[in-house]
Amino acid sequence: MRSLLDPLRQLTGVALAAAAMLSLVGPAQSQTKPKAPGTLSFVITTWNYAILETRFHDECPEGFTIGVDEIWWRGLSKAARAKATQNGELGDSERFIMALQRGPNKENVCLNPTLVKDPPMFTVEGPTAYGMNLDGTTDGKATPKTCAHQKFTGVDGTPAVDNQVYRLLGCIYGWHKYDNIQSNANINRKTTGNGIVLVEVTGVDDTRNDDNVSVTFHHAIDQYALDGQGEFQPYASYRTDPTLKADGTRRYGGTVRGKIVNGELTTEPADLNLPFYGNYTYMDEFFRDFRIRMKIAEDGETAKGTAAGYYDVDQLVYYIGGLGVIMFPSQADCPAIYVAAHQLADGYPDPKTGECKSLSSAYNFEAVSAFTIHSPDPTLAQAKGPLDRVLTTFGIGK
Amino acid sequence: MRFRIPSFVAAVVALGLAGCGPSEPKIQASGPGVRLLTESQYRNIVADLFGPQIVVAGKFDPMLRTNGLAAVGAWNARITPNGMEQYEKMARAIGAQIVSPANRTAFVPCEPTSATEADDTCAKAFLERTGRMLLRHPMPADQLAGTVALAHEAATSFNSFYDGLGLGLASIMVSSPFLYVVDAVEPDPDHAGGVRLDSYAKASRLSFLLWNSAPDEALLIAAEKGELHSKSGLKRQVDRMLAAPQFETGLRAFFSDMLAFDNFENLEKDAIIYRAFSLAVANDAKEQALRTISNHLINEKGDYRDLFTTRNTFVSGALGKVYRIPVERPDGAWSRYEFAPDDPRAGLITQIAFAALYAHPGRSSPTMRGRAVRENLLCQKVPDPPGDVDFSLFNDPNSPNKTARQRLTAHATLAACAGCHRVTDPIGLALEKIDGAGQLRASENGEAIDTSGDLDGIKYADAVGLGKALHDNANTPSCVVRRLYAYGTGRDGVGDQKELMKFYEEKFAAAGYRVPDLLRAIAESDAFFAVTKSKSAATTAWGEPLSHSTPAQENKS
Amino acid sequence: MTVLLPRKPSRREILRGTLGGMGASLALPFLDCFLDSKGKALAATGQPVPVRFGTWFWGLGFTTNAGIKDKAASGMGIEFLDQCKALKPFEKHINYFSGFNMPLDGRSNYVHITGWIATRTGTAPAGASDLAAPTLDLLIADQIAGGSRFHTIDLNACNQPRENYSARSANNRAAAEVSPLSLYARLFGPDFVDPNKADFKPDPAVMLRKSVLSFVGDPSKKFNDSLGAADKARLDEYFTSIRQIENQLALQLEKPRHNDACVVPPPLTGVPNESLEVESVHATHKMMAKLVAMAAACDQTKVFNMVYSDNQSHLRKPGESSYYHVLSHEEAPDPVLGYQPGSHWFGTRSMEALADFIEAFANVREGDGTLLDNTLIHATTECNYARTHTVDGVPLFFIGNAGGRLKTGMHIVGGGDVVTRVGLTALQTMGVPVDKWGTASLQTSKAIREIMV
Repeated sequence: MRSLLDPLRQLTGVALAAAAMLSLVGPAQSQTKPKAPGTLSFVITTWNYAILETRFHDECPEGFTIGVDEIWWRGLSKAARAKATQNGELGDSERFIMALQRGPNKENVCLNPTLVKDPPMFTVEGPTAYGMNLDGTTDGKATPKTCAHQKFTGVDGTPAVDNQVYRLLGCIYGWHKYDNIQSNANINRKTTGNGIVLVEVTGVDDTRNDDNVSVTFHHAIDQYALDGQGEFQPYASYRTDPTLKADGTRRYGGTVRGKIVNGELTTEPADLNLPFYGNYTYMDEFFRDFRIRMKIAEDGETAKGTAAGYYDVDQLVYYIGGLGVIMFPSQADCPAIYVAAHQLADGYPDPKTGECKSLSSAYNFEAVSAFTIHSPDPTLAQAKGPLDRVLTTFGIGK
Repeated sequence: MRFRIPSFVAAVVALGLAGCGPSEPKIQASGPGVRLLTESQYRNIVADLFGPQIVVAGKFDPMLRTNGLAAVGAWNARITPNGMEQYEKMARAIGAQIVSPANRTAFVPCEPTSATEADDTCAKAFLERTGRMLLRHPMPADQLAGTVALAHEAATSFNSFYDGLGLGLASIMVSSPFLYVVDAVEPDPDHAGGVRLDSYAKASRLSFLLWNSAPDEALLIAAEKGELHSKSGLKRQVDRMLAAPQFETGLRAFFSDMLAFDNFENLEKDAIIYRAFSLAVANDAKEQALRTISNHLINEKGDYRDLFTTRNTFVSGALGKVYRIPVERPDGAWSRYEFAPDDPRAGLITQIAFAALYAHPGRSSPTMRGRAVRENLLCQKVPDPPGDVDFSLFNDPNSPNKTARQRLTAHATLAACAGCHRVTDPIGLALEKIDGAGQLRASENGEAIDTSGDLDGIKYADAVGLGKALHDNANTPSCVVRRLYAYGTGRDGVGDQKELMKFYEEKFAAAGYRVPDLLRAIAESDAFFAVTKSKSAATTAWGEPLSHSTPAQENKS
Repeated sequence: MTVLLPRKPSRREILRGTLGGMGASLALPFLDCFLDSKGKALAATGQPVPVRFGTWFWGLGFTTNAGIKDKAASGMGIEFLDQCKALKPFEKHINYFSGFNMPLDGRSNYVHITGWIATRTGTAPAGASDLAAPTLDLLIADQIAGGSRFHTIDLNACNQPRENYSARSANNRAAAEVSPLSLYARLFGPDFVDPNKADFKPDPAVMLRKSVLSFVGDPSKKFNDSLGAADKARLDEYFTSIRQIENQLALQLEKPRHNDACVVPPPLTGVPNESLEVESVHATHKMMAKLVAMAAACDQTKVFNMVYSDNQSHLRKPGESSYYHVLSHEEAPDPVLGYQPGSHWFGTRSMEALADFIEAFANVREGDGTLLDNTLIHATTECNYARTHTVDGVPLFFIGNAGGRLKTGMHIVGGGDVVTRVGLTALQTMGVPVDKWGTASLQTSKAIREIMV
């Protein structure tokens, strides 16, 4: 059922919190709100690397790659294994910690991935992927902004799709649906309320077709609204994070142009910084040429879509390196990922070396309808300011 | 209307208020009454006296909602053994909290000679002072002496002065003069052979009306000095009490009772059908309605009737999801909100509280809503459903009625049903675009909802129009007059009290339908304190004074 | 031993006949009821076995022709149909009453109200909230509750504390217990004295609590001296209730009788939500049934009242907008079955719950039998057929042998007799010294002798 008037009820731009009138004392100060131009807001509820998994994993003809623990295990003699594991008495997670501390001086190789040279990992060889054509080429040849790379065909048939993050992670068990790296990150966000992203679409004249809308991404500072069953509730209000950078610009988000065609919102590419929280890591994610494609349900309550953009190699390596024991059953090997990520990087070459420093990437996400409340007061953000790396690998390595 | 003044009428003097307006009609006074503290009164007394940190954990016997108010049921309520078991437990727990190391310095005015022994002097000082506040009058000497002796015995047994004191305090809180508010009378010096409420009883009557709690120190002092027997002394106290912060608590208690908000305690909504509804929504919905009421009536000094049309309210994050509106403070705080002029919501009955309370767990109920408006807001009695309806007449499995209007129209084709449904349904159907959880909807089972109807001849198209019709209905203000009078006196406002009701109504109207002014008119009227000698003949078999209200009919559906 | 006085009816009550039209033949001395010659004694100790009484309520009666098969005349054997098949295993413990009528003398049938009030008080209500006489469980409790900690235990499995069908009057009704956890704490919490524990030491704190109540409960103290006679009479209830709690405390100060039947239940786990959802209600009810059965076995109470579902039955299934009551009115009958299938389902669940309740008592060993043998459970509802709210022919059950005082396994056919005959039979079985019960056309002096031993 279509809700009544929802888009028109939303507030735009106007700073509302000026009317933080909590006291009952004094005459009513509320003002009748002017008819706002149509606004649609959504809160992103799930956010995953877009990993295409075929039934028989044909995209990984050599199988899944081997993980840091297995590499460690293979490198030990029978006697050394017995010693290391106290004749098999040592628990799995303790063994995993030993596997991480494989550096010459027991350094954690996930946080110091260049200290050891591991066998190369398996990467995706299949022809199909989620994603978008980010470099504008049909064949992935080098351009001033990109390095030569292989293209995919989109899951929906779109030709010349770029998604090197998928190529990198698609043959690691941990990023597959049976493991918990991605689902755990979503659960983390759901339960902590960290790293919530809002998509606010303003200037909407027609919620199904409008060739000129403005789309702003925000970081929200309120917790997710969940119903009694623990599901995301639509129509909740979220205040934006007003934190500014030193230069006075907003730390998170940004505004881009977009259009809605048959209920599908697409945005023009832009560079922007989004918050990320998952697996106990809080970090900024800086994207170049970021854009989304989002299908809004008929009733306006939910939406789902794909986002794509270039993602910094170092950021990815940082995130994966910090996963620590969370990665324990995931069969990932940080040193091998480090090497492969740099080899697969296809965007934004270092002007000096010519080596690409970004990976094309794509994300699948879901969202529910929400209200964006613009916070005028940057001090509000201090209540729940982003912590860089709240907890890293349960204290290992740092 | 003319009425006969019985020879035994109490000496209620018709003194007009200093020459302004009509004089107060005389009524036949009732005998002194006894009312059991309601749950909210009990809780307020503890909170006012000892602070909100004292936990009152226990279950209270339900009171029979009588003439639309549980507070009227209190005038006839008894204590069951189960109820007494709870009072005893609560009293001990409260006593223990008051004398706990964290709280004792705040409440016990003296140091005992030894913390491990009885100290009757210190115990007496505490118990006498606290007892006076709890009992709302000086503690009778024999009760005080007995309580000190109990505290002594307990202190000796427990080897703890404070534990003894806690038990002494508990004994006051299970004693009948605490649990029952008694209309104590004394000879009336102005009317030979007549009686009047003593000044402490007057103080209690005032404080329970205006604050829903016991008198404070200043009011007890005024009572002690006999000031409440003079017009000017009474006025001073009423002015002070209306301006005090406890007045908001009192006003909320009255409207909670009038709107039967105690039913929120067991309100249940289907979590699958109404996903947005939750315990937080229920709690906030109740709070929203009470905030709207108290803000409008106290802070805005608003016209009571405007409560049914106002678009101004307060919202929380939880409510925003149900209303589908943006909320400035989604983090649990409250913020003001004004529904737009073209919004389908305006007035109290379009808020979630009313819509959800008067509905089934998984669907709306025009009949429940209509009945609630008629009975709770207009003080009209809707007859109970007949016992012998053949429902099969309108249950045609081949053409199920999709909307509530269709179902009820079919229902009302039966003469036995038509009478009642004619008075409830047009009201309830106007609210049908608000579902059982308080959410807006345009259709039911795919069929458009028609919200048109009429209230006592005034036609309207929708819920906003219904609110306007309620605003303009003469029963709207007269009902709150009757309810407030009943709330304060336990009497029903009918019979020879009708003229008195008219008198209050005129004062209410003259004051622009401002509720604090109405309360002032009631509190300062002679009828409010009117009492006659009790006559054992005027009781029922179970000792209920006939002068108090008889139970109204109650029905859950 | 502390003398445990039952609530004595006042002279006024007796003169005005306000004990629900009870005949004022106060002949039997108190305590005779549970020391009665018909009662059993435990072989081991020779102690008399207390006989307990309970009520069990379910809303909305039966589906016509699908509950229990009609019989032409009273006799042994009950034919349980689809809705009642869960009761079949307990047939020999049950008496079923059909065909008893409820003449109202021109008073309205207040739907869902008149039925339960008339069956339990013997008086038809004059208004929807009128309750002019005490419910029979309280008359029985006044007679037999001495020697047990609680006068009655009142339970509601639907999270509706107000829906307690035990009351002395409309203004004198306890809140029902709705939470198994707080029921457990009340019955078996710190104030419980385990009869089978070797050591017993009276708690001085309990003695002091009793002193407090003796003090405030002393009517001669005249704290409310200024009251008129009428209002003093109202305070009688206060003193009665105080006395009752004093009795509870007195019991805690005495060593209880050794009691093999009493097995203190372990603390509860997996307590369901407090809700009207039928599966939660079912689970709550089952938990409460076990607790109250053990409370009876452990001498904590001799009288209990269980409401499985209220008098309109708000039982519901999650995700369905029509609950039981609404279905009973609006659901179209199935042309093949001849009844409303959704409504019938809820009714069937109700009878399964009754079977659970019976089982809880049958599972407690007491002497050479079970607790059920020493209990009378009177199951009542408020209408015969919910769809039309008929009160004539309202189905009623007795379950248990009441310590050998009842013959069971019978279907008693009322043949249009007044329904209060059933209530009078319960009163007399439990030793309440009455020769008639009920008012106006509901008054009867004819107990059902066929089942009384």
